[in-house]
Amino acid sequence: MTILEVERVEKTYPGGEAPVAAVRGVSLSVAAGELVALMGPSGCGKSTLLHVCGAMDTPTRGRVAIEGRDLSSLDDGALTRVRRERVGFVFQFFNLLPTLTVAENIALPLLLSGGSPGEALERAAALANRVGLGHRQRHYPQQLSGGEMQRTAIARAVVHRPALLIADEPTGNLDSASGARVLDLLRDVHEETGIALLMATHAPDVARIASRVVHMRDGLIERIDAGVAV
Amino acid sequence: MWLFSRFIARRLAGERLRSAVTALGVALGVAVVVAIRLANVSSVRGFEQALETMAGATSLEIVGSAEGFDERRLVALTWLGELGRLSPVIEGEAMYAPRGIAGSASEGDDRAAIEGGRRRASAGEMLRVVGIDILRDRPFREYALRSSGREGEGPSAREFLDLLRDPRAIILTAKFAGRHGLSNGGRVDLAIGDRVEVFTVAGLLDDVGPARALDGGIALMDIAAAQVAFGKLGRLDRLDVRLDEPEQVDAAEQLIASRLPEGLTVQRPSRRGRQVEQMLAAFHHNLAALSYIALIVGLFMVYNTVATSVVARRSEIGTLRALGVSRGRVLRLFLGEALVLALPASVVGVLLGRVLAVGAVALTSGTVSTLYVATGSAPPALDWTHWVLGLLVGVPLSLAAAAQPALEASRVSPTAALRGADRLETRFRLRRRFLVAPLALAALGAWLATRPASGNVPIAGYAAAVVFVFAAAFLVPAVLFAMARAGRRALGFRRGSPVPGSPAPAHRFFFVEGWLANASLSGAIPRLSISIAALAVSLAMMAAIAIMIGSFRETVVYWVGQTLTADLFVGPSSRSGGARQATISEEVERTIAAHEAVEVIDRVRQIPVPYGDSQAYLLAGDFTSLVARGQQLFKDPRDGKAAIRATLGEDVVVVSEAFSIRHGRGVGDDISLATPSGRARFRIVAVYFDYSSDRGVIAIDRAVFARHFGEARPTGLNVYLREGADAMAVRRALLDTLGASHRVFIYTNAGLRGEVLRIFDRTFAITYALELIAVVVAILGVAATLLTLILEREHEFAVLRLVGADRRQVRRMVVWEALMMGAVSQSVGLVVGVVLSLVLIYVINVQSFGWTIQFHMPWWFLTQMTLVILTATALAGLYPARLAARRAAPIREE
Ligand SMILES: Nc1ncnc2c1ncn2[C@@H]1O[C@H](COP(=O)(O)OP(=O)(O)O)[C@@H](O)[C@H]1O
Ligand SMILES: [Mg+2]
Repeated sequence: MTILEVERVEKTYPGGEAPVAAVRGVSLSVAAGELVALMGPSGCGKSTLLHVCGAMDTPTRGRVAIEGRDLSSLDDGALTRVRRERVGFVFQFFNLLPTLTVAENIALPLLLSGGSPGEALERAAALANRVGLGHRQRHYPQQLSGGEMQRTAIARAVVHRPALLIADEPTGNLDSASGARVLDLLRDVHEETGIALLMATHAPDVARIASRVVHMRDGLIERIDAGVAV
Repeated sequence: MWLFSRFIARRLAGERLRSAVTALGVALGVAVVVAIRLANVSSVRGFEQALETMAGATSLEIVGSAEGFDERRLVALTWLGELGRLSPVIEGEAMYAPRGIAGSASEGDDRAAIEGGRRRASAGEMLRVVGIDILRDRPFREYALRSSGREGEGPSAREFLDLLRDPRAIILTAKFAGRHGLSNGGRVDLAIGDRVEVFTVAGLLDDVGPARALDGGIALMDIAAAQVAFGKLGRLDRLDVRLDEPEQVDAAEQLIASRLPEGLTVQRPSRRGRQVEQMLAAFHHNLAALSYIALIVGLFMVYNTVATSVVARRSEIGTLRALGVSRGRVLRLFLGEALVLALPASVVGVLLGRVLAVGAVALTSGTVSTLYVATGSAPPALDWTHWVLGLLVGVPLSLAAAAQPALEASRVSPTAALRGADRLETRFRLRRRFLVAPLALAALGAWLATRPASGNVPIAGYAAAVVFVFAAAFLVPAVLFAMARAGRRALGFRRGSPVPGSPAPAHRFFFVEGWLANASLSGAIPRLSISIAALAVSLAMMAAIAIMIGSFRETVVYWVGQTLTADLFVGPSSRSGGARQATISEEVERTIAAHEAVEVIDRVRQIPVPYGDSQAYLLAGDFTSLVARGQQLFKDPRDGKAAIRATLGEDVVVVSEAFSIRHGRGVGDDISLATPSGRARFRIVAVYFDYSSDRGVIAIDRAVFARHFGEARPTGLNVYLREGADAMAVRRALLDTLGASHRVFIYTNAGLRGEVLRIFDRTFAITYALELIAVVVAILGVAATLLTLILEREHEFAVLRLVGADRRQVRRMVVWEALMMGAVSQSVGLVVGVVLSLVLIYVINVQSFGWTIQFHMPWWFLTQMTLVILTATALAGLYPARLAARRAAPIREE
C-alpha cells in the first residue's frame, strides 16, 4: 500500500527580490514497510521536501497525498488532524517541550487528540521502556543526554501509531555512538511496526538499512539507489 | 551609543507592543501621582489663594473666639492705631438663589441643593460676603469698580460709600454677575441662613484685588448691613491691621500679643490657611499614599521588561562579552533600556496627570466641600514642580527597578554564548528561603504595625503596609510552585504518572490545554513571579481597601442607625452647600414648633473652631435632652450619659473619638477654648463614637455655651414627632408652609441615613478610582508578560503544532495561562489583602483619622472582584493567545 505519494512537487520561498526555489519538481512514493533515505548536500532541499511531505508546509506546485488523501484540498484544521493522527516527526534538534517530563512528552500527541491521560500515560510508559528510557520517565528533557532526548522524540513520534514517520537528520546533532544507537532504534521501530519511514540523513551507513536511497541536488532528485535492505 | 541602537533600541522597536505596554504602565503610575498631587494642592491652594488675595495689604489680624468678638472692645484697642491702620471685617456666606427655584420640595431636591455645594451647579453658587467699613478698608484692599466709564481710575471712597449707603446694597464681581446674567442696579436674591433676601446690585468689581478670589464668588457689603444680614449685630469677626512698617511684622506681632486683652489673639492671615491645610492633611496623605500604588506596579513592569530582556538575550550578552564588551557597558546598555522606556513615559505621565487631575478634583472637591471647606474645583496648571515630581519619581525609580536585572546582565559570562539555544531556566525548586523571607517580612510588618504614629502621620503604619506588600511579593514563587503541583494533581498527574482511576469529567473540557498551561507556568516560575507579584500586590491593596471601606461603611451604618433618633432633621440649605455659619431663623423654628405633630425640638449649633494647629467642630446641644433621649455610643466611660448627668451645668465637654485621638485628650483632661470673653477651660467628661468628621467634635451643653459664647441661633434642629405621626407627611407640610420664603432642607430619619451613606460613598469614589488604575496597570503587566513569554516560546508552540495541536488548542492554552496567573494573583491578593486591611483599619485609620472601625468582610464585593479579575486576566491573555496561534507555524529548523 502506498503511504506517501509525491508528484512533481515544487516549493519556492518567496523571499522578496530573490525567491529561493528549494524544491524544483520532485516525484516520489513511499509504501508501507519501506524505509527511504534522503541524502544530499546541505541546502539541496531535503528539509523542505520533508516538511511538505509531513503536512507541515504546502507545496507551491504539485501534489502530495498521504494514504491516498490529497493534502492540497485540506485546510489548516484538517492538516493538523493528519499530522496528529497519521504522521510522526523526528528532528535534528529534538524539539521536546522543556516543561513536560519524558513520559508526558511522549504522551502529548495522544493527549492533544483527546485521549484520556491514564491510557495515554500507560502507553507512553510502555514506549519509554521500549526505547530504553523506563528509568527516565519522570525526568525533564534538560536532564537527558542528546541521545536520550532523541529516543524520547522517537517514542513521541510513534506513540499515536502513525502511518508515516518523517525524520530530518535525526543523528545530525549526536556523537557517533549515540547516533548509531538512534539509527538502530529507528530501524527496529520501523521493522516492528511496519511504519513507512522517510529520513533525511548524512550518515553514509544508512544505506545498510534503507530500502531505497534518494540522492538530491539543487532541489531535484539526482538518482535513486536501491538500498541493501531490499 | 552605536551598540545601544543596535542591541537595545532595535529590540524595543521590534517589540513595539510590549515596549508600549510597559511605558504605558509607567506613564499611568506617574500620571496618578501627579494627578493626586494636583488635586490635593487644588483644595488647599484654592483656599489659600482666596485667603491671600482677600488679605490684600493686611499684615496681622486680631481675632476672638469662633463667635467673633464684641465690637465695643474696639474702644480698648485704639492703641493699635499707633502701629498702622485698622479695618474691622465681617465675613459671611450666602448662596445665590434666583427666584423660581423654590424651597426644597422632595428629598431629591435636597440632593440637588447639596450638589449645588459644588459651587458651579445651576443656581446654588456660594458667595463669600465681606462686610467692611469702606472708608477704613481702602488702604487694605484694591477694588476696581466697573462704573462711570472712568477707565483705569478707581472709584473714590465717597462714591463707594454712596453705593453702600443702602443696607440692601451689595457689590458683586463682574465675573459673578456675568455668570448669572445679573446687571448693575438690578436685584439679586441671596439665601443667607434659611432666609432668601433681596439685595440690589450697587456695583460690579473688575478682576483686581479680592475680586479675583474664589473665581469671582466674592461680594462686598457695608459692615453694619452685613452685621444685620448675618445675625452678628454688635460683633466683629476680625480686625485687620495694616502696619505702617510691614517689615517689622514680627516685632509688632509680639508687641500686640503682649498688650491684647484676654480673649483676643493676633495672628497672620496665612494662619487660617495652615489650619485648613492641617485639617486636610490626613485626607491628603492617604490619597497620596494610594496614588503611589499604581506607580509601584508600573515599576514592577519596568523590572519585568528589563529582566525578561536580560534572560532572553543571555547568549547574545555572552557573545558581546566574548567580543570584549565590558561589564560596565553591558550594565549601561540595560539601564539605558529602562531609561528609554521611562523618560518618555514620565513626560507623557505628567501630561496625562493633568488630565486625570480634572477627574480627581471632580471626585474629591465634593468631599472636601462637604466635609472640610468650600474650595476651588479646577486643578491648578502644571508648573515646573510637577515636571520635577513626575521625572523624579518616574526616571530614577525606573532605573532603580532595572538595576537588579541590569547587574545580572553584566555578570553574564562570555561562555554563556556557547550553551545551546535551550531555555535557560533551571527548574524551580522550593527552597527554604522562599518561605523565610516572606515570614521574616511579615514579622517585621506586624512589629511596625504596633508602633505609634509620628504626629498625625502614621509613618510606621504605612511602612507596615509596604512591608506586608513585599512579603506578599516574596511569597509568590512558593505559591506558584504549590499551584503548579496542585494543578497537576487536579488534572490527573502525579509527577508524570497517571493517578489510578478514571480522570474527572472536567478533563474533556479543559484537560490538555489546562495541563499544558500549568506545565509551562511551572516551568517559568522565577520569571512569572515578578508580574504575578505585581498583580497580586495591587489586588491585595484593592482587596484591603475594599475591606476597609466595607467595614467602615458597616460601622457607619450601625452608628447612624443607633444614634440618629430624631424623626426630622432641619438645616439651612446653604449649610449643605458649605456655608458652615448658616443658621436657622426664628420664623422657621416657630413654624416647625407650631406643627401639631411636633413633640420636641432639639436645637444644635455646630460651628468650626480653631483648635491647636487645626480645626475642630464645636457642637452646642441640649445635654438634658441628650441624657433623656440621646443614643450616643460612648467609648469612655461606657456609661457616658451618667457622667454627663452628674456634671450638668458645669464647664464640661464631651468630645468625639477623632478629637480625642487627634489631640491626645481623654476623659478627665482639660481643653482650653477661646470665648468672646477670653480663654476658658473645659473638662472632658466623656468620649463618644462619631464618624461625621475626622477633624473632631467638641460637644458642649447649650446653656454652658451661652454662658461663655453668648446666645446664637442654631445651625440645625432635630425634631421629634408624636407617636404615630407620619414623618414624610409632616416634612411635606412643613416645606409647603415654609414655601418660597425660606431655604431649608428637611430630612426624614431614613432620608438622612441615605444621605450620610451617599456622602460616604462619594468620599471613597476617588479611592476606588485610584485602585482601579493600579489594577489596570497590573493587568497590563500580565499582558506584557504573556506577550514576552509567547514571543520567546514561539518554538515551543511550533513543536506543539507539529505534534498535532490545532490553533484553538494553542490559543486556549495561552488563555489558561493568563487565567491561572490571574487566579494565583487573586488568591495571594485576597489573603494579603485581609492582612493589609487589618493594618488599614486598626493602625492607619486610627492614627490618621482617629476612629475605630469594626472589621467586616465584604464578601459580595470580593466575589465580584475575583470574577472581574479572572475575566480581565483571561481577556488580557486573548491577544497573546491569538498571536501565539498565528505565529506557531509548524517548525522550521535551521
Ligand atoms: N523559510 C525559508 N525561507 C527562505 N528560504 C529557505 C527557507 N527554508 C529553507 N530555505 C532555503 O531553501 C533551500 C533548501 O533548504 P533546506 O530544505 O533546509 O535544505 P537541506 O535540508 O537540504 O539542508 C536553501 O537554500 C535554504 O536556504
Ligand atoms: Mg535540513
